Amino acid sequence: MTLIYALAAGALFGIGAYLVMRRDLLRVVLGVVVISQAATLTLMASALGFGAAPIYPLPSGAISDPLSQAMALTSVVIGLATTALLLVLVLRVVDVFRSQGLDEVAEDEVAQEATLDAEHALGHEDEEAAAR
Amino acid sequence: MTLLSLAILIPWAAGIALVAVDGRRPVVGWAAVATLGGTLVALVALGAEVLTHGEVVVTTGGWPRGVGITLRADAAGVLFAVLSVGVLLAATAHLVMGGVRERTFPGIVVLLAAGLTGLFLTGDLFNFYVFFELAMLASYVLATYGGSRRSLGSALVFTLVNLLGTFVFLLSVAGIYHVTGTLDMAAIGARMDAVDPNAGILIAVGFFVAFSVKLGLFPFHFWLPTVYTGARPAVAAILAGGLANVGAYGLLRFGGELLPRELDLAAGALVVIGAASVLYGGVLAISRHNGSEMLAYSAIGQVGYVLVAVGIGGPVGFAAAVMISIVNSLNKVLLFLTTRMRGAIVGWAFLLGALSVAGVPPAVGFVAKMELFRAAADAPALLVLLFLGSAMSLLYAFQIYQYDFWRTERHGPRSHRSQLAVLGIVAAVVLVAGLWPEPLVYLSDAAARAVGGAAVVVGDGTVVSDGLPAVTSAP
Repeated sequence: MTLIYALAAGALFGIGAYLVMRRDLLRVVLGVVVISQAATLTLMASALGFGAAPIYPLPSGAISDPLSQAMALTSVVIGLATTALLLVLVLRVVDVFRSQGLDEVAEDEVAQEATLDAEHALGHEDEEAAAR
Repeated sequence: MTLLSLAILIPWAAGIALVAVDGRRPVVGWAAVATLGGTLVALVALGAEVLTHGEVVVTTGGWPRGVGITLRADAAGVLFAVLSVGVLLAATAHLVMGGVRERTFPGIVVLLAAGLTGLFLTGDLFNFYVFFELAMLASYVLATYGGSRRSLGSALVFTLVNLLGTFVFLLSVAGIYHVTGTLDMAAIGARMDAVDPNAGILIAVGFFVAFSVKLGLFPFHFWLPTVYTGARPAVAAILAGGLANVGAYGLLRFGGELLPRELDLAAGALVVIGAASVLYGGVLAISRHNGSEMLAYSAIGQVGYVLVAVGIGGPVGFAAAVMISIVNSLNKVLLFLTTRMRGAIVGWAFLLGALSVAGVPPAVGFVAKMELFRAAADAPALLVLLFLGSAMSLLYAFQIYQYDFWRTERHGPRSHRSQLAVLGIVAAVVLVAGLWPEPLVYLSDAAARAVGGAAVVVGDGTVVSDGLPAVTSAP
């Protein structure tokens, strides 16, 4: 059983990692979501056991571990919040850059750097001219 | 006990209230500053209690220990919490004085303080993750502050990379629970000895990756320069001086207390990665002409020292790691806050910060470098590295000083008097801690003891209690 969970979590992580590598921002977000599911599945798998529900009064015999379920639940909720935040962030990026691709964001950065360097060079030239 | 609950509850409750109101009004900004101040007072009082009476442990909800979630304040946790909230307080005050431009800012900073305080003061692994995620969510929002193209682009990178880091962390948490069956940090440390070493190493690597991403260590640094240069100075100060402490604290707590055997095994690798980080950060910082870019690469170099110190390990190494983390965050706040200000006082503050980064005497950086030299005294190769790293930091810091303050005047509006006062206070802390380092040395020794620096695990698994050597370093 643990092996099945491990394989499923591994597959999810792989799919998520593949999506994160894409250039389309929406796919990147989906990749993060899928990876978060892999983490949730691993949390559930961390204490697998068959048994009755752990409700007081406890039944005789094996009971399942409630803690890993609680952790999985918490991580699902947190995953929801992070996904919402990430989507809003992407929405703002799309709004500002008028594009859904990571390439444009990167290009913008390169252009910014070039401007900075040019400014710096200009400053130096002024100074040298003043020194002469 | 009430202090411990208060330190977490004050920023949490106030943060939720402040997020709902318009943060651009000055009164809301000052309310955030007051909340951070109140949290800091509670934390300092808690710290005094911890140092005199030993660690404070509270199990929430009146559950028996082992069932309920444990909150625990020991010297290391309180020290890092005081440091981080202090940094947040200085940076927030600085920003509020200049005028807040986004309505969510004050509330988000206070929530970040709640997340940081919570994760430094928890004794439960999953609770650590929850507070960790709270702090990270707040910082993702902070990184977008300003809303310009540049800060949005960098915030996107920051969010994606750090989200992946937290999921790796969560996978390791699941691993720990699977192999030890508990989430209580104190119990995990004891139970890890019986665990299959292969599983232990895998889990340790997961934690290491997660915290290295937060710290911005060399192979995981790629997001850092974009974010630190894209963000506003005060936000960069919060991220570099406040949030990066999570990485340092995590390496110490998880390496020293939870996984000491794995840390011992990986010590060599840690030193190598740390050294690579020092050299990479130093070389690239020299090649930069812009103040904030230089600081971003310098941050990569400086956290390398933390890793080297953790790798050396033992009471001396851990104490050095704690001290370098403290000094790093003070330096970063001081220097990042100067980046868009001008005037004579700014020049002096930058000079002091530069001296501190390079480890030159009147500034506190000297004390930290001194501790590190003491820790590395047995390894000549490390001494060479430390010397080289210091020389490079002297070079890059003064290159910027020369360009920004000697040759040209900085442009832009005149800085507010009150902002200069904040800068002066941070500079005074850096100077006074450098001139009178005994409290700092004492605190970092106490913190190192708390994260397991006192007990060194020798190869065959027997625990040897290692008495702390007398501290004699004073300039």
